Amino acid sequence: MSEIKADSKLDTSGKCCPMPIVETNMAMKKINSGEVLEIVATDPGTLTDIPAWCNRTGHTLLESGESDGVMQFYVRKG
Amino acid sequence: MKSLAIVVREDGYDKLLTPLAFAYLQGSEGTQVDLLFVNWAVRALTEVGAKAQVIQGEHADQDGWVRQQVEKAGLPPDLYDVIQALKATDNVNFYACSLAASIFGVNEDNLIPEAGGIVGASWFLNEKAAKAEHCQYF
Repeated sequence: MSEIKADSKLDTSGKCCPMPIVETNMAMKKINSGEVLEIVATDPGTLTDIPAWCNRTGHTLLESGESDGVMQFYVRKG
Repeated sequence: MKSLAIVVREDGYDKLLTPLAFAYLQGSEGTQVDLLFVNWAVRALTEVGAKAQVIQGEHADQDGWVRQQVEKAGLPPDLYDVIQALKATDNVNFYACSLAASIFGVNEDNLIPEAGGIVGASWFLNEKAAKAEHCQYF
C-alpha cells in the first residue's frame, strides 16, 4: 500500500485503450497543479502508456505498482 | 505531439475503430487532430452511414460480439457516439473529401453537424497533412 496521499482517484478498471488515457487527461484537467491523481487500471497497455504520457505532458509519475493484474499509478500534476 | 492528420479510406465498423481511437487519444491530450474521410469511409460522416457501419468480410459474423467488447472497453458501441465524443474534446475535426462525397452520396444536407465540411483533398493535404507533425493513413 502506497503512503502517497492522492487528492483524487480515477478507476479505469475493465476499460481498455484509448479510455484509460482519455479519462486520465480529463481527470488531470480537473485538479490543480501540484495535486496528485491516483489512477487504477487493468489494461496492461497502461504500464507503458502512463509513464510515457507523464514524460510527454510534464506531469510526474511518483509511484507505480502492479498486483494481480491491477495497476496503480500516482501522478503529480505539473 | 501538436498536430496529427489522419486519412481514413477504409469503411467498416472495425476498420474505423482504430483511427477513431487514435484520434480520441490525441484529441484528449490537446493535440490538434484533423481527419479526412475518403472513398467509402466518407459515408461514416452521415448519421445514417455511421450507424450503418458493420464488420464486413470474414469477421462479419462477429459484429455483435465486437460491439460488446467495445462497450466493455469503455467506448460507446455506436460509431456516431464515438464521433461525438471525439468532437467534444474540441481538438478533433472531421472533413469529408469532396470527390468521395460526390461519388458516395454525401452532401451538406446529410453531413453530420460534427463535421467541419466537405473539402478538397488538395486543401487537406497541403494545409493539414503537410503541416501536421504526423500523418497516418487508414
